[in-house]
Amino acid sequence: MEFIVEDGKQIHEDCSRLVLPALSIGNVGQLAVDLLITTLRAERIGFLDDPFVLPCIGNDAYWPTHQGELALPLEAYDSSPNGLSLIQQRSPVVKGMMIEFAKNMADFAVASGKKHVIILSSLDFGRWQKIDMSSGLQTYYLSSSNPDGTDSLCERLGWKKLPEYQPDQRCWKYLRSVAEGDSAAVDSMPAEDDFTEEDYYPSLPFSALFSFFKAKGLDVTCLLCYCSEGDNISDATHLAEATCKLLEIGSDSQGECADWVIPLSWKTLYGPPPDISMF
Amino acid sequence: MEDVLTEIPPPSRFFQEDLNNFIPHAPPLPSPFLILSKPKPSDPIRASLLIIALSSPSLYIFHHIGSKKLIGSLIVPEIPLSGISCEPSLGDKSCNIYTLNDPDSSILLVSLQSTVAPERCHTIAKMLVGERIIPERVLILSSVQSQNFRGRLSADEPFALKLETSKERKGSVSSLGDSSLLKDLEYFPSGSMIDGLAAALLSRCEMRNIKGTLCVSWPEFDSSVVSLLKSILHKNVLPSLNFSSSGGNKDELRSFGFKGHSLDSDLYA
Repeated sequence: MEFIVEDGKQIHEDCSRLVLPALSIGNVGQLAVDLLITTLRAERIGFLDDPFVLPCIGNDAYWPTHQGELALPLEAYDSSPNGLSLIQQRSPVVKGMMIEFAKNMADFAVASGKKHVIILSSLDFGRWQKIDMSSGLQTYYLSSSNPDGTDSLCERLGWKKLPEYQPDQRCWKYLRSVAEGDSAAVDSMPAEDDFTEEDYYPSLPFSALFSFFKAKGLDVTCLLCYCSEGDNISDATHLAEATCKLLEIGSDSQGECADWVIPLSWKTLYGPPPDISMF
Repeated sequence: MEDVLTEIPPPSRFFQEDLNNFIPHAPPLPSPFLILSKPKPSDPIRASLLIIALSSPSLYIFHHIGSKKLIGSLIVPEIPLSGISCEPSLGDKSCNIYTLNDPDSSILLVSLQSTVAPERCHTIAKMLVGERIIPERVLILSSVQSQNFRGRLSADEPFALKLETSKERKGSVSSLGDSSLLKDLEYFPSGSMIDGLAAALLSRCEMRNIKGTLCVSWPEFDSSVVSLLKSILHKNVLPSLNFSSSGGNKDELRSFGFKGHSLDSDLYA
């Protein structure tokens, strides 16, 4: 993975916190990063060139004032006032290369001096074992702070550690071994045919990213929410708000962004408007 | 009516295998390579303009340009060469490289007549731009992908839109008089997307700070688009090139899958 600084831009050394999406159901992590970039007016500073991310391109993802500005598959943004970097990923990873991609991303984070990484991801509502909607949409988390995945700040914020995180479960152990450079572990990848329910969570992209960032000695927090595929804007808003609370970013003392700025590209997020000529 | 349970998910949604860390990856493929007929094969080729034709209309137009010289090919190992003809033919799944005879500049043309798998696009884009071939400017000709386009598409309303690298766009506002290559075209709209080799090529141009333009046209197989592209190319890119001889025979267009009212009207004579 090569980091290319955009012409005329510079890296901000004080941006030691990194937010990035993990590919997940409903594209919720990616939508949340879109919201954070536009609302925080983050500045694009460069691109990440990775052979394991499929190509895609478009125009004017965020603001109407920059007409004709390309949007590439993997972009890096800085919000210097908030000491925050963000990476947006717009296309899938080549089939079977997610672990290599996670390794590349972790290497980039270390090389660019990041200290705390926040991974945004959704989870499939259909897999939720113990549904609890009593307090609205619940935020789950997974942290590198403690071996069991807990973190005192996240607990104070009222979030729940992902109960399905079992560090000794075979798939979590496999990810940890590969991330720590155990070459023998590479050949012992769990076979898809043998998968059970408990293999679901470590099979998700956020788990690979979490394992590799953690193995590099970075502080890592995964912010997770359950959703179904459909209109996932509210889910994305929820994760973006959680991010602001965790990082104490926002317009008020509770770390909440009062008004989210909707990206220009979201106007046709779920398809073009209906053809009114048929009426 | 499509079955909502089994239909292919829209482009913004994932297949299950996209979200699985433990899916085995495909066996590695041999690298693609360039074959070039030049005195010093190891030296890169420099060009003032590199045109990469990916869409059927653009391939058709350039196939019929007489003033070009074949100088090489890009060999993609997984694309079978069986059945290709000795002379370049539109029916071949080949990727030939030509020089265009232009008195004022050195122009290279790449005609890619086969589909490239998405996971190979990054490698092939590297082969074509910035390593063995060093262009000052790149023009990619491709088609709008209906599954990725969030605007209205009509089969009988041809159009062309553009995407440009920042260096190409900056040229259009500079005081040096170096304007955008396709200045009359509107920008591809926000919210729509292009994937595949066209995207990989333009992304590479952006990241390597090369002037680059991607022109996408619609419909994909329509004779009207052939006329539209000829007009765009003659006006903006290759004004000294004679496009009048570049095909247009109705039977030939029809044989390559092109449709259009002007082609079909004879059927009702």
